[in-house]
Parts: sequence; structure tokens; C-alpha cells
Amino acid sequence: MNDAHIYEAHDLKHDEGQLPPENWFDRSETLQKLRKNKKFPTIWCSGCGIGIVMGALIRAIDHLGLDNDKVALVAGIGCTARMAVYMDFNTLHTTHGRALAFATGLKIARPDMKVIAIMGDGDALAIGGNHFIHTARRNMGITALVVNNTIYGMTGGQYSPTTPLGGRATTAPYGNIEPPFPICDLAIAAGATYVARSTVYHALELDKFLAEAISKDGFSVVEAVSYCHTTFGRLNKLGTATDMMRSLKDNSIAKSALDRLPPEEQAVNTKIVRGKFIDTDRPQYTQVYANLITRVQGGEK
Amino acid sequence: MAEVIAIPGQPQNVVLPAKKGPRGEVFIYATWCKGCHICVEFCPPKVLAMDADENRPRIVAPEKCTACHFCDTHCPDLAIVVRKLE
Ligand SMILES: Cc1ncc(C[n+]2csc(CCOP(=O)(O)OP(=O)(O)O)c2C)c(N)n1
Ligand code: SF4
Ligand code: SF4
Ligand code: SF4
Repeated sequence: MNDAHIYEAHDLKHDEGQLPPENWFDRSETLQKLRKNKKFPTIWCSGCGIGIVMGALIRAIDHLGLDNDKVALVAGIGCTARMAVYMDFNTLHTTHGRALAFATGLKIARPDMKVIAIMGDGDALAIGGNHFIHTARRNMGITALVVNNTIYGMTGGQYSPTTPLGGRATTAPYGNIEPPFPICDLAIAAGATYVARSTVYHALELDKFLAEAISKDGFSVVEAVSYCHTTFGRLNKLGTATDMMRSLKDNSIAKSALDRLPPEEQAVNTKIVRGKFIDTDRPQYTQVYANLITRVQGGEK
Repeated sequence: MAEVIAIPGQPQNVVLPAKKGPRGEVFIYATWCKGCHICVEFCPPKVLAMDADENRPRIVAPEKCTACHFCDTHCPDLAIVVRKLE
């Protein structure tokens, strides 16, 4: 009997682009922060992890109780960057690789704003690699959310600076010969004050790290490990979205668990390490700049 | 008691036997669902099952939902909301 009842939910036909009834948005705080005049469902492939990261970001902002008008999302171009257009905050959808450059300008003009740069791994570390290290070096008050799906998803699966050694890509048909960038290590070395990594399987951990990162004054980085089953998964025979999701569960380890292993086992760990790697403070750029203005206007040299 | 609502449409009350532990109420907005199977494959008590014809999940055992929130936090299309029942 139950079945007969519930089945009626599926009398609904999939109608691309139809605006949902207002009461759907009222069902959760997460949905409340989506743009109600935007065409849904999203452009992403069925099962793509980027949507899960979007949910985590919204929940993190909601948890902090930030005013929507005080939050600015700055995105480049890519499947990941597309995330920004679906959420109801201030949004800059810029050019490929330049999210952090635009975000820097915005933060300097409006230091009171919480500026969040949303980037794919190509966006952040290939074309945008220079912006990434210099934003960290300056300690700009920006949160960088890097969705690492180890590939250029939007343009059809070219290898990126995070593609694993040996991984096949449309531009690496015999396997990638370039060692990947470890995003978190790079961020720490360049001067970021908060760096953490989790996966889309561990979505609630992403919520936590994102909330902490957004609360930081200085440059903070959250690497959200995702997957692109459509390009990388297909080329490397890694299965469906659910298979790749399960592999994030099986092939990742919490930093706290890794730290408890004997050193020789730690040394050979190949799993994705989830955790917070640095949480420190140093003078944030816009504050240093404001101090400079006060000093110079006060007649000091 | 758990409630299953077809959206949009009329609320449909399904009276269920009381169970121990936290309970949840699942809402699915089928129009946004892309049929990725994530919710179905990972729901621990198998509340959801895939409808092969429609390529959408069906709520087959609403009384088993423990409000663990796996499905709504992992649906890439935000097509599921779970409400914890008091
Ligand atoms: C200046 C410039 N160079 C190249 C492109 C083409 N392009 C668009 S998205 C993209 C890469 C996307 O990969 P990534 O940033 O990792 O994001 P994903 O799509 O994987 O989320 C490229 C090379 C562009 N739009 N602009
Ligand atoms: S191409 Fe890859 S990254 Fe882009 S939406 Fe599809 S699965 Fe996601
Ligand atoms: S909240 Fe948990 S138990 Fe309930 S339907 Fe979702 S995944 Fe299943
Ligand atoms: S996780 Fe979401 S999109 Fe995927 S099958 Fe379930 S309801 Fe549909």
C-alpha cells in the first residue's frame, strides 16, 4: 500500500528548467540560499561531486550565520566555477584562472566582505597557479575553495596539475608523466594561514572545514577532493559516480588516524589524507594596508 | 509516524509503527533528480530504491529512515531533504 502511495511522486516528469514550487525552497536552509530564479537542475553530469561541495559551502555559510549580502563568491571558469551562479550571494563569475585576482581586488575594495574564491584544480593551479601562491604570500583575507577532480572536466578531460602519475587523460593517452602538485602542501609553503582537505564522501567534514576557513582572517584553503566520472573515470575505467564515491571512502584516511600509525607505515601511505594541516595567524593584507594608511595620513613616514 | 510527501502535489500521510531511535522524514523533488544512484546505494537502512523505469529513487521503506542525513547531504542535485522527527 505504501508503495502505491509513494509511487505518485514519480508521476512527475523530468522537466528541464522548470522552476520548482516555492514550498520546495522552504524545505531546508540549504535550499533557501539557492537562487530562486535560476534554471535547475544544474548543468553538472548526473552524480558529479561538485553539487555536494555546493551543499557543504551553503551549510558552512549558514552555520556561521553570515548575512548573504556580506558574502561574495568569486569563480573562474570550469564545471566547479559554475557553482557560484546557483547561490544567492554576491557573485563574480570571472575568467578562467583569474578568480583569485578578482577576489583580491574585491577584498581590497571591501575588506568587510567574506570573499570566497571557488576554483577547479586547473583554475586554481594551472592557469591560476601564480595567483594562488601570491595570494597566499600576501595573506589576503580570502577563502579558496579548490575542488580537486584531478582533471579539466569542462573542456573534456585534459590532464591538470593534480592528475596522478600514470593517470590517463585525453592529452595523456598513454598515462600522465608529470608528478602532481600536492595542493595543501603548496598552500602551506606559500603562506596560507588555514589549510584543510576532505572529500565529497565526507561532506559534513567539508562543512566543518569550510566554516573554519571562512571564519579565518587570513588566506585559507580548503581542498575538496571530488571526481569526474565522465572524463577521468571513463578514461581510467574507474566506474560510475557511486563507484568513485566509494573509492573516496575506501582510499582516504583521517590525519589523526595516520598520525597514530608507525612511521614506516606512514611513509608508504598512498591514501588521501583528510584533515586540517595548518591553522595559524599572521598579519592579513587589508589590515596591514589599513594600518599603513593610518600611519601615512598621521604624518608618519 | 512518518510522512511522505510527493512534491508538488498533495501531502500523503503514511501511518507507521513507532520505532526506537531517531526517525526521519524524506522529501524528494523528482524534477531535479538526475538518477545518479548515490542516495540509493549509500542509504544504510535501504529506505530508498531505484525506479528503473523512471530512473528516480522511490521511498520504499519510510519507516526505516534514521535521519542520518547521508542522502540529503550527498545528493549532488539537492533533490532530497530529510527532516528529523521529534
Ligand atoms: C583563458 C582561458 N583558457 C582556457 C579556457 C578553457 N577552459 C575552460 S574550463 C578549463 C579547465 C577546467 O578545469 P578545472 O579548472 O580543473 O575545472 P573543472 O571543470 O574540472 O571543474 C579550460 C582549460 C578558458 N575558458 N579560458
Ligand atoms: S564533466 Fe566531470 S567535473 Fe564536469 S560536471 Fe561532468 S562529472 Fe562533473
Ligand atoms: S536520512 Fe539516512 S536513513 Fe534516511 S533516507 Fe537518507 S540516507 Fe536513508
Ligand atoms: S542522489 Fe539525488 S540526484 Fe542522485 S539519485 Fe538520489 S535524488 Fe537523484
